[in-house]
Amino acid sequence: MRLLVVEDDNTIRDFLIRALTEGGFRVDACAEGKEAERLAVEGVHDALVVDLTLPDMDGLDLIERLRAQGVSAPVLILSARRSVDERILGLERGGDDYLTKPFAVAEVLARLRALLRRSTPGQPEATRLRVADLELDLIRREAHRDGIELQLTQQEFALLEYLCRNAGRVVTRAMVLDHVWKMRIDTSTNIVDVHIHRLRNKVDKEAARPLIRTMRGVGYVLKD
Amino acid sequence: MLMYGLVASAVRERGDSWLIGESETLKQVAITTPRDALYGRIVEEVAELATQELAYDGKGNHSATNTVFFLQTDDSGRPPLWVGPANNSPFIDAIRRLKIREHTAVSIRMAGWRSPFRVVAADLDPQGDAGAGTGRIYLGLLDTDAQKLLFDLLLWFFFGWICMVGFGFLTAILGLRRTLKRVDAITTAAANIDTADLSSRVASASQPNDEVARLARTFNTMLDRISASVNQLRSLTDSVAHDMKSPITSVRGGLEAALSTDDVDLSREYVAKALDHLDRLSEIVTTSLDVAEAEAGALRLRRERMDLSELVGRVAELYAPAFADRHQILTTYAQDSIEVSVDPRFLTRLLSNLMENELRYAGEGAHIEFRLSAIDGLATISVQDDGPGFPPELQNQIFQRFVKGHASQGYGLGLAFVKAVACAHGGAAHAANRTPLAGVQILIEIPMVLPSENLHKTIHDETLQGIAS
Repeated sequence: MRLLVVEDDNTIRDFLIRALTEGGFRVDACAEGKEAERLAVEGVHDALVVDLTLPDMDGLDLIERLRAQGVSAPVLILSARRSVDERILGLERGGDDYLTKPFAVAEVLARLRALLRRSTPGQPEATRLRVADLELDLIRREAHRDGIELQLTQQEFALLEYLCRNAGRVVTRAMVLDHVWKMRIDTSTNIVDVHIHRLRNKVDKEAARPLIRTMRGVGYVLKD
Repeated sequence: MLMYGLVASAVRERGDSWLIGESETLKQVAITTPRDALYGRIVEEVAELATQELAYDGKGNHSATNTVFFLQTDDSGRPPLWVGPANNSPFIDAIRRLKIREHTAVSIRMAGWRSPFRVVAADLDPQGDAGAGTGRIYLGLLDTDAQKLLFDLLLWFFFGWICMVGFGFLTAILGLRRTLKRVDAITTAAANIDTADLSSRVASASQPNDEVARLARTFNTMLDRISASVNQLRSLTDSVAHDMKSPITSVRGGLEAALSTDDVDLSREYVAKALDHLDRLSEIVTTSLDVAEAEAGALRLRRERMDLSELVGRVAELYAPAFADRHQILTTYAQDSIEVSVDPRFLTRLLSNLMENELRYAGEGAHIEFRLSAIDGLATISVQDDGPGFPPELQNQIFQRFVKGHASQGYGLGLAFVKAVACAHGGAAHAANRTPLAGVQILIEIPMVLPSENLHKTIHDETLQGIAS
């Protein structure tokens, strides 16, 4: 997987390159919009990481231009602007996800992987998800483990669905708040943990193999 | 000008009436007196009397300007009868040339005379006996007096007009100068404004209550608001600086410790802790900025019409497991649907803050009630618990930024944010301990949508006007 990082701050760019490389990606990087445009339109990148405050143009303008020129790879926006309006605007103008600074590296990695999963071509909209012996029927909103139906609330099902869609990838608390519950609240809350805990009780308790695991300091992952 | 015209024509008419009257008299004389040798003398005498009457001007002055002539023409061939200035032929010629209608005065200019003559004519009809015959009599009066009078009148009117204009002009200038002076006062006040000194205000007189007074008042109000915002900002920077110093110190300490130890695991632990402190710092900064924005009135709301009951239900559902874990019992009472026009993101955070506070401080096993109601266009969220309540020494500062109890692990911004958001929506927040019962009572009020507003899922951009504190 090849990434393009557009970030004008040297320190941040360097550590992003390092972190993403360690995370298994091939990384190209540049520090300004014009250069980014030149590199991006070649179309060889699987995802882009774009900082909004660039020296020669606004990051949102850059994304719009890339979209207009046919760049369809998912874009993760990095920004110090944290207002809700900015976030909505970023997503409307062509971004696929939005992270405010400061961010944890793990957060960047987790979100990028989630974006990449979505953009893999040739995958039809699934009506069923399956990980090991866990099966989710997305139409009837039912979950079964080893043939036995799990009694889940709506919230719990939504959470499980998100974990399944990102199976094998780390899901952070912030991602759950943003994408599952769509609530921008104080991330120092522990309600995500509480929900995961309950979910895990229902999903993993009886079964032989635990599927929902905790990644300390980062988040959770569902995998065999 | 109009006035002059009216007065002038009135003067003219009076003069003409006299002339016409006299001519009638003479006409009667001419008709009734037989035309014989005496006739001429009689007419002459009457005419002379008339002349003298005028000449004497009623003041006993022999005014040479009143010159009268009398002319009687006769169709029967007799020579015209003339009483008046000696050289009568130019007169007779002039009169003969003109067609003067009976009882209508005309002005005739004669060479050598300063003013025109005002002339009337009267026809003699053939009814008179003793052969008065047909003919005409003409009576003329030198117009000098009238002219002079009209001229003087004109002068007076002109003078009066000049005075009026001048007076009006003067009034306008004085009025304008006064207004401009008042405007200048505002300009001076504005020029004196400095970020260091926002105390400049305009002394606005209550009267006259005109546009300038309104400008002055608006200017003062604007400055009040700016001043309030700047003060808010100052107090925020003070408290943020203060509150940030602790975590920054911890981060520094942790990293220094990590550098100074050779134990790799220990070093990692220090670094991990430092990272935690940094996260806290980040949260403090973000939340402080949010609260400051809200308090300073800079929050931009994107209002949507929504059901408050449904929102509370959703948030409560998310928090339910957490409450259950602490054996806290959360009960929500809500009317069926309460339509409000609010920014859902801020309301969600408001509700979440309230619930987080209950989670953290109501204590294990506490009973917590969220009660929603709508009365008279005001939606009310009431939070009650039977926990330990607010620390008594903080009673008056519950909604202030960075105020928190000793046992608190938060940053003290939760309720400040709640109040700021409530106020931003035009509502209010109140909190107190439920004495003599245990626990807290928090009341959030938010104005609802009035049915007459007729919004249909429209989204409004709203900028705050200011917070009623």
